[in-house]
Amino acid sequence: MIGILICQIVLSIVLASVFLIRPSLTSATGWKIVAFIGLCVLPALCIVGGMNTHVQRSEQTRFCVSCHVMIPYGQSLYVDDPKHIPAQHFQNHRVSADMACYSCHADYTIYGPLNDKLQGLKRIYMQYVSTPPDPAAIRIPGGFKNAQCLHCHVGARNFEENPVHAAMMDSLKSNQLSCLSSGCHDTAHDIENLSHEKFWKPVQ
Amino acid sequence: MNFSQIGIQRLLRISSGLVIAGLLLEIVSLVWFHPLSFVLFAFIAATLIGLGILVYLVSLVFAASPSTQSRQ
Repeated sequence: MIGILICQIVLSIVLASVFLIRPSLTSATGWKIVAFIGLCVLPALCIVGGMNTHVQRSEQTRFCVSCHVMIPYGQSLYVDDPKHIPAQHFQNHRVSADMACYSCHADYTIYGPLNDKLQGLKRIYMQYVSTPPDPAAIRIPGGFKNAQCLHCHVGARNFEENPVHAAMMDSLKSNQLSCLSSGCHDTAHDIENLSHEKFWKPVQ
Repeated sequence: MNFSQIGIQRLLRISSGLVIAGLLLEIVSLVWFHPLSFVLFAFIAATLIGLGILVYLVSLVFAASPSTQSRQ
């Protein structure tokens, strides 16, 4: 996909170079059309394609852990303990391993992806302009919402038929009772104690 | 700024230069796998390309409008 986009960009650069060197060519009708394609249509498509590629890339686990403060969170995905919710989901492919962070932390609303990108830009600002946060002190604004768990688990047989879940389904759906902080599934990344943990080594 | 003094060809050169600079930066942002690559793309490359397109469209408007002399 990136290959096609780069080919399109190179073609656009070649066309734009023609008009940089000889702008007088546009006096002919045929070249006017070429100029419109090379200086307006193709560059606009390159912006759209570039934005799409960057947005898709920012959903990758590799991209999330490329930030210094996220490195321990990436390591926590390899903790060898099934009580660690993110590690358990990642290692058993309950979420796509390539999109592990995004699957659980995406805001599944209409403007969610836009909000996620704005949050990401805010973190870049904090990293390079303001004070970078201590990784252990990072908290999700407003707390982790059940909707992010329920996005996948609602409708799943082992979730719906679990008597504990069934008894409190309304409270879970209305976010009155948190999946993570009400004492049921309370071990998330736990990066303060990472140094004491055993890690899973995937077979290459 | 009076566009008629600048001339369409100069506007086309400026437009081409901006578009080329923006596209080259876009290639760098696509090849560079780093959180700042999105910032490079969104705030610099896309802005330069957008400005290039805008200058080109301005040159079109300027080329389409009849000059004062031809109206007389």
